[in-house]
Amino acid sequence: MVINISYSARTIHGLEEAAEICLKCGICCVVEGYGCPAQYDGQFTPKHTYVYDCLGHDDPMSNANIWQCVSCHKCEEMCPYEVSPVRYIETLKSMALEEGYAPEMILGEIGLVLSTGYAFPITANTIRQRKALELPPLKESNELKVIAERTGLSSVLESWESRR
Amino acid sequence: MRFSFFKGCFIPVRQPHIEKTAQIVLPMLGLDLVPAEDYTCCPEPIGVGVNHKLTGIVISARNLAVAEEAGHDIITLCNGCTYTLKQTNILLKGDEELKGKVNAILSETDHQFRGTVEVRHFAQILLEDVGLEKIRTKAERKLTGLKVANHTGCHILSPPEIMGFDDPQDPVQLDRLVEALGAEPVEYLYKTQCCGWTLSNYGDRTAAYRLLGDKLAAINEAGTDCVNLICPQCLAQFDTGQMMAGRALQLGFRLPALFYLQLLGLSMGLSLDEVGYTKHRVRDSGFEEKMGGILG
Repeated sequence: MVINISYSARTIHGLEEAAEICLKCGICCVVEGYGCPAQYDGQFTPKHTYVYDCLGHDDPMSNANIWQCVSCHKCEEMCPYEVSPVRYIETLKSMALEEGYAPEMILGEIGLVLSTGYAFPITANTIRQRKALELPPLKESNELKVIAERTGLSSVLESWESRR
Repeated sequence: MRFSFFKGCFIPVRQPHIEKTAQIVLPMLGLDLVPAEDYTCCPEPIGVGVNHKLTGIVISARNLAVAEEAGHDIITLCNGCTYTLKQTNILLKGDEELKGKVNAILSETDHQFRGTVEVRHFAQILLEDVGLEKIRTKAERKLTGLKVANHTGCHILSPPEIMGFDDPQDPVQLDRLVEALGAEPVEYLYKTQCCGWTLSNYGDRTAAYRLLGDKLAAINEAGTDCVNLICPQCLAQFDTGQMMAGRALQLGFRLPALFYLQLLGLSMGLSLDEVGYTKHRVRDSGFEEKMGGILG
């Protein structure tokens, strides 16, 4: 496997260290109970681990598997060479969002947070349960849209809309 | 001890019984939860935060600013909220340039991040501020004989230098909290493995159920009465997720999952109904009988 990530400074602080120090030992994924949860997917094996799949893909941003990463940091904890695959995968996700590869589930959640202030929809069941428990109704906020305008996220989402 | 009460999204929307239990139980230990209406989603790290980092940082900085305006440190009920808010707080406190950039954006919302509050999970506050001794005293109904498997969850453990809660590969803090109630923590295989909630929601559901099935089987094998957790997504996975995985994998057992605040409430005199156990999908008559005997 060749590591294919172009590790340009795409996050706020950038990823200066090189992923190429990865020895492909596989410890991040194959140690049962301590390693990567995404390794549970049947397509991954000890020789083709989840981390290899993400870091060694020919077109890593378009690889749908990057979205399986749960940011649990298990790979980072296990790696004997301090490679921190999670940071590369998170960077790939942010690049993929800008390039138009993010799944609908992610776009839907981002849209919901920006329009209501909640990542999960307030349903009739939510309202009923809160009332029964004498909890106050939930107040929605659209202040986050203002933030997204200024951070560039809104224009990323608009480019998704035009692509559709 | 006064704290600004950061309820998050998942608990108020999907598990309001946990919000209610927190509001009953934590004041019994001397914690005053000050409500704040202006909070939004932390934002949720995997669906939002990591995918557009600057937006994630500014939204969480806005939440931190709301707490600063109230003048209290934040108490959270969720590993994910703690993970997001703590990382932003530490990042911005140590980076003047980024703080300036974030505040320039925040000025449009009439908030400013100054870096004057701390973010802590309720379990951390129980251990560090309330203390095990006080919990032992207040927990008058000892849960003697109750065997509890503790699942800490990923995002309060790592990165440990930021989260500062426990050893990610050998967590013991929940064991200490459970022992303070008189219950017996059990050791089991895969203790540090993820619950699979995030994998099931953003990734491969089948893989997530296999993962959860292995973890549940190990917990069951250890002779456990119930699972104890401190994160709402972990609770959802061990409850609703267990129901779904149980069907898919034909699991031959039911392991009730309780949020630590529910166990705490039970040991301070509340009933299973009052702590919202009856709202859970996975209930077990064997567990209920045993609890009935323990609680008297």
